[in-house]
Amino acid sequence: MTQQLIALIIIAWFISRLVWQKKKNHIGANEFIFWLIFWLIAVCLIIFLKSIDRIVSGLGFSGSGIEVLLYLSVAILFYFIFRLRLRFEKIEKDLTKIVKNIALKDK
Amino acid sequence: MKVFCVIPAFNEAKNIKKVIDEVKLMVDRVVVVDDGSTDETYNLSRAGGATVLKHIINRGQGAALRTGVEYSLMNGADIIVHFDADGQFLSQDISKVIKPIKIGAADVVYGSRFLPVFSEAEGKAKGKTAMPLIKRYFIMPLARAVNKIFFKINLTDPQSGFRAMSARAARQVVWQQDRMAHCSEIMLEVKKNNLRVTEVSIRVIYHNFGQSFFGGFKILKDSFIARLVN
Repeated sequence: MTQQLIALIIIAWFISRLVWQKKKNHIGANEFIFWLIFWLIAVCLIIFLKSIDRIVSGLGFSGSGIEVLLYLSVAILFYFIFRLRLRFEKIEKDLTKIVKNIALKDK
Repeated sequence: MKVFCVIPAFNEAKNIKKVIDEVKLMVDRVVVVDDGSTDETYNLSRAGGATVLKHIINRGQGAALRTGVEYSLMNGADIIVHFDADGQFLSQDISKVIKPIKIGAADVVYGSRFLPVFSEAEGKAKGKTAMPLIKRYFIMPLARAVNKIFFKINLTDPQSGFRAMSARAARQVVWQQDRMAHCSEIMLEVKKNNLRVTEVSIRVIYHNFGQSFFGGFKILKDSFIARLVN
């Protein structure tokens, strides 16, 4: 119970930072909504942790709900890194295209 | 036939003037692509009489080569030679590399550091070129094996940066890799387009080690990511 409370306080702090960043226009509306939904899902998962424990053990996992959430988050992080990597490659290519065009135009 | 020689150069102020002076005797036009150098490469290349294209930031040898090739095609090149700026290749070998294209025997010619060198002037075998031992007996055989097994390409020197192409071949061979993996990609593009390929022996003077073992892995990794992105 205490652990859940601490987690909720931390998330509340992240959400307050998010709102502050939005107010200062440091982030766009889409990004704000994405992260808000992300943190609200996290709140739900923490509140219903006991139910998740039951679902997880029903699915045959030996670990508790929070452990399975951790595994899932690592997998999602890997996916994001992969996406970022591809995006980065695309930007690199565009950059080369611009540099090439400038070189040919300035000749 | 108009022969253009494309030389990508990054901080090569030490060698570029000498390379241009030698190469311009062998071709109709020398195109140096200054790949964001911070030294005098650009000014020295211009003073040397080359056509100089400037990359405002460093994009890698593959990218610089592509810029030079595009310029050459736009300006009426019939044969395009890829050459290095570090003075490792010998300009006299350019005539050997372009000969099969001139006589219509090939579309793409690779300069190979592994075929025995026959000096035309002396008319006798001069033996193989000096290459660091690890590279000669471990890295290069590994690169050859990868090409043979995975891509069914049988070249004695798959990573050679000294090559020539007809304009028709240069239009077909389009590579995406900006950095070192472009050598492998060019090789695959040549195969994909069913171009006629031949290898001729060239001589190399080694100033440094060149591609390392881990560099080879980086090439494989870059090629893999490029395939995912494309």
